[in-house]
Amino acid sequence: MPRNTFCGSAAHAIDRRALLGGALAGAALASDMTALNALTAPDVSKALKTKQKRVILLWLAGGASQLETWDPKPGATTGGPFRSIQTDVPGLRISELMPKMAARMKTTCVIRGLNTKNGDHGSAALTMMRGRRDEAALRYPDLGAVVAREFGPTESKVPDYVTFYTQTEGRSMAPGASGFLGARYAPMELTTNNYPEFIKKLDGITDLDHLERGELRNVLGKGFEKGRNSDTLNSQNEAYQRVRGIMASEKLFDITQEPQKMRDRYGPTQFAEQTLIARRLVEAGVPFVRVGRAWWDSHGQNFETHQEMVPELDHVMATLLDDLGERGLLDDVMVMTLAEFGRTPSINASLGRDHFASAWSCTISGAGIKRGSVYGKSDPKGNTVVAEEVDAGSLFATVYSALGLDPHKNYYVGSRPIPLVNPGVEPIKALVG
Amino acid sequence: MKAPNPDTLKLHKDYSRSVITLAVARTDGSETAYFGCSDFKVYAGDLAAAKFEPKELYGHESYVTGVALAGTTLVSGGYDGKLTWFDTAAGKTIRTHDAHAKWIRKVIASPDGALVASVADDMVCKLWDAKTGKIVHELKGHKEKTPNDFGSMLYAVCFSADGKLLATGDKVGHVVVWDAKTGKELGTCEAPVMYTWDKTQRLHSIGGIRSLAFSPDGKQLAVGGMGKVGNIDHLEGKARVEVFDWKEGKRTVEFPGDKFSGLVNRLAWAPDSSWLVGAGGAGEGFLCFFDVAAKKTLRQEKVMTHVHDFAITAAADQITCVGHNKIVTYKLG
Amino acid sequence: MRLRLLLTVVLVACAGSSARAADLPPATKTVEAVIDQLVDAAIADANVIPAAQADDATVIRRLTLDLVGRIPTSGEVDAYVKSGDSDKRAKLVDRLIASPGFVRHQAALFEIMLNPEGDRRGSGALRTYLTDALKDGKPWDVMFREMLLPNEADAKLKGAADFLRGRVSDADKLTSDVSVAFFGVNVSCAQCHNHPHVKDWTQDHFYGMKAFLARTFDNGGFLGERGYGVIKYKPTKGLERVAKMMFLTGATVEDANAKEPTAAEQKAEKEALDKAKAAKTPPPAPKFSGRAELVKIALQGQNADFFARSISNRMWHRFFGGGLVSPLDQMHAENEPTHPDLLTWLARDTAAHKYDLKRLIRGIVMSKAYSRSSQYDSENRPSNKFFAVARLKPMTPQQLSTSLKIAATDPASFDNLTPDDFEKRMEQIESSARGFASLIAQPTDNFQIGVGEALLFSNGDRVLKEMLTDGTGTVLGRLKGMKEKDAVEFLVKVAYGRPATADESKALVVYVEKRKGREADAYKQVLWALVTGTEFRFSY
Repeated sequence: MPRNTFCGSAAHAIDRRALLGGALAGAALASDMTALNALTAPDVSKALKTKQKRVILLWLAGGASQLETWDPKPGATTGGPFRSIQTDVPGLRISELMPKMAARMKTTCVIRGLNTKNGDHGSAALTMMRGRRDEAALRYPDLGAVVAREFGPTESKVPDYVTFYTQTEGRSMAPGASGFLGARYAPMELTTNNYPEFIKKLDGITDLDHLERGELRNVLGKGFEKGRNSDTLNSQNEAYQRVRGIMASEKLFDITQEPQKMRDRYGPTQFAEQTLIARRLVEAGVPFVRVGRAWWDSHGQNFETHQEMVPELDHVMATLLDDLGERGLLDDVMVMTLAEFGRTPSINASLGRDHFASAWSCTISGAGIKRGSVYGKSDPKGNTVVAEEVDAGSLFATVYSALGLDPHKNYYVGSRPIPLVNPGVEPIKALVG
Repeated sequence: MKAPNPDTLKLHKDYSRSVITLAVARTDGSETAYFGCSDFKVYAGDLAAAKFEPKELYGHESYVTGVALAGTTLVSGGYDGKLTWFDTAAGKTIRTHDAHAKWIRKVIASPDGALVASVADDMVCKLWDAKTGKIVHELKGHKEKTPNDFGSMLYAVCFSADGKLLATGDKVGHVVVWDAKTGKELGTCEAPVMYTWDKTQRLHSIGGIRSLAFSPDGKQLAVGGMGKVGNIDHLEGKARVEVFDWKEGKRTVEFPGDKFSGLVNRLAWAPDSSWLVGAGGAGEGFLCFFDVAAKKTLRQEKVMTHVHDFAITAAADQITCVGHNKIVTYKLG
Repeated sequence: MRLRLLLTVVLVACAGSSARAADLPPATKTVEAVIDQLVDAAIADANVIPAAQADDATVIRRLTLDLVGRIPTSGEVDAYVKSGDSDKRAKLVDRLIASPGFVRHQAALFEIMLNPEGDRRGSGALRTYLTDALKDGKPWDVMFREMLLPNEADAKLKGAADFLRGRVSDADKLTSDVSVAFFGVNVSCAQCHNHPHVKDWTQDHFYGMKAFLARTFDNGGFLGERGYGVIKYKPTKGLERVAKMMFLTGATVEDANAKEPTAAEQKAEKEALDKAKAAKTPPPAPKFSGRAELVKIALQGQNADFFARSISNRMWHRFFGGGLVSPLDQMHAENEPTHPDLLTWLARDTAAHKYDLKRLIRGIVMSKAYSRSSQYDSENRPSNKFFAVARLKPMTPQQLSTSLKIAATDPASFDNLTPDDFEKRMEQIESSARGFASLIAQPTDNFQIGVGEALLFSNGDRVLKEMLTDGTGTVLGRLKGMKEKDAVEFLVKVAYGRPATADESKALVVYVEKRKGREADAYKQVLWALVTGTEFRFSY
């Protein structure tokens, strides 16, 4: 966890109350924990559909190859062995490894001109999760934390930001992090299995005792808290006030609650199951879920690796988009595929591809993005971007816009305004107009 | 026929290529070799010419991973799933089949030139009449999915010296020996060490059986690949060869590799069984000679390219290696 | 105007501190007297009304947590509160500082300070070194020297090498971490460009510091250092430059060896290194050591201001919960200390007393500023910068876990122990608390407690098994046979070190009575509610 330090320049005396705005007010509301089953009520789910945007990020950790997915170059010396296939969008062809997505590209925007300039797993992952580089004394919140903050209701009864990353490779290099937004928006991280730790009540205590014990805790704190003022203290109370709500979301992580037919549709792999859980979570109102799928770092045997992994991505992503569409959620739920970078067009002697950040691709489906579109163009060999170049900042500005957020909206660290994207960075108008 | 001693192995010539050469076929006594390449093309090249300039014969729609000579007929296969018959004497294409639903990994001809075998990731080995192009057998003995629910791959195939046996080997280390005439399954062997599934760190796999070769008497079957890999994003497992008494399905010898890392992509026996040679590579390549009877490694030679395939003469006195941007010829004896 | 004065103090180039020394309180005054003089003066200047002094129970809780890392037992609290000795606070402070718990807790805090990111903590060797060093009362400059110039041949000092060892593979990180840990300066943003907000820090400062450190490398598990080599960098404007060894003050070191080695030199060096590797010994030290030069120049004359001010500020932060300069790694001219004269005086005093950490710590915790209440009932709560009200300091994972164990223990089991046995018992409890501590987040400045901690306490079975049991020797075990009112008041006393209020007592009795026939469960829940409460979570 990076230290949350601030440049000590005069303007930065920290005032976390201003920073976190209504968080405290929300805590007071949340103390009534009686209506825990509200989640499952259909009208709540319907209400969510109309007002609250959510995001599922399929994080292709290690760097999937754009040439074997969204930007194939068949026949070029750099193209590798795979052919391209026509999609349902006229003029758009993708790798033959993705036949299912080829039939569903009308849901999706492909961005082919990413030039993010950083080929180091760790620092590139941080940049691509945040849309910019941290300042030395300012840790930015990542996409998940911002979406959690913007769309997580203060009285939230579900976690705001959930991240799955069950493989070990590269996990510590791409942590979910709420930066200056603080622990309130830090992710619930699932790293060992698909079920969050400590979400279930122990058998040794009845549900009523569990509830009233928590209330007793609040009562006991009142005397001490009188005349004392600390953001850390407030965060402690707020954390306890969220416990019962989060516990009520336990079943969302239980994949056996899903009909067998639906589980079969997604498939039996870990990535498939986690993506299905992600769908359950966003349906219940969780604003942001990252499903980390590691590890694509195919320095050797790139084509074998992609032949193994891309069909899984193709199937799971296509199933997710179908599922969201059938539930009428696609206008409110954005699905992204993104990684820290792509892979070199040149093929090394181990038939591998190496790290490459100069001309790679990502996708955005659903929500307010222009669907069935392609933005950006790489040269015939895939070495450079020749049109409509996109960097991490404009990608994030576009994502925020597509979610209905003003990318220039400010957070405040003390009195210093911090916009969602750096000053001067604009969304791609063609994709969100 | 006494085979030359591996000690006599000498680099003969090397040729630079801008493409990756994935497959080679060459007839004894001829300086002309046929190449399957990463630019989707099949070439013929005169290795004795003053200036080596392979000539493009025709193209596939993807990497050309198998070329086989049945007499004067060249049969090529690629990742496009197609097999093409080409008349080398007349210089023209005879026919093209949509032979497999997925990548073709290897194409070979029987020693008498009557049959052609192709293996592909549809996990089927197909036997073809080399002359007519008619399908003779479809051999199905490999699972389509790995135990981890990902698509499997069928990389390797070989005939025995008398042409009666055929062996196929897949990604997870399963080998099937077939009766080439009837298409019946005769036996199986398992070489699971060749397949590394990383379920904790990276959640994908690497490896597979990449090469097979029957001993001249047909009793032993050599299997080539790579040992267990720590970081499966690199070809850093040791080059590995196992030898089986295939009738018993029992491994008799293993050469786990000590010098070179990478895949053993091609195997061949000396005609007198005195040695077995394996070639392959990772960032760079190797040729390794083994005395199977004595369970001894005889010689391990670095090759200037990752070797994807080689052609070897019947007398085992010449080896033509092809690989990453290079073609290298060696002589023995 | 204030800023101008400050600049002259901070920038050693201006020879500030000696010029101003005359205006500072005299060097002969005690640390605590100077702290109170200057803190009170600022409070008076600003017309601020400070909080009252905390009561005895709060003072002993704060001192025990801050100095030895645990809550006091209720026996310790009672003895302190009852004592009429006018010198009781000084005696308590001296007893705590002399105890092994002080060494262990402060060593843990120093380890966190040196390895704030946590990924290298807990390997053991550095902690062992720090513990031994504090036990021996080593001055901070000696510890600095031993960590930057570790003698790996000496088994007792070997652990000091871990500070460098974890960073040898990344000279940029090493440069940045050394500057932060010892000088309170974060030059890392000057790596790519001159610092955007701080004129003090340019690329020259970053690469100048790096030039001292970049020759360090790993040789078969031992630290080696080359006697040559240059650091080049490309400034944002202009041609590539070779970095001179330059300290943060701008003072430079002439290095005749700033050149690339010849092939023959490289060969000779490689042989020597291979030999050391084979023999499993530290490689030979270079004739000219960049690191030795850094240590020398950093402690020389007025250059030492960075070092002295940083440790003074860090110790202040440790006991007050906020620095005189904040953040701790932003000590520069544009980030004014809240009490410039105080920091300058403390730094001067600390250097003059040979960087004696115990003296500095004792002075801080003996001050009246330290023992103010954290409660402030009026509307016009003074800003933190006055240190007019005590801040709540969230416990470290180890403090919290150890304190939970103590609160779950029958207090009678601490009675009648000899001082030695009491200390041993505390060490046992601390060590048994380590596992649970590893599940809790390490606080930083502006720390927020996440829902993960609340879930852990609400549903973790370790809490149930390790703290909420009612066997022999536990606080819950003691309740058997007690009346409800006595039982709940006993629990409050043990957990909070103070009597229950009438309201608390009433609410708790109602809670227990509602669970007639299940009193054992009810008491567990009461204890849970007490130790998960805000009053338990902080050093207040």
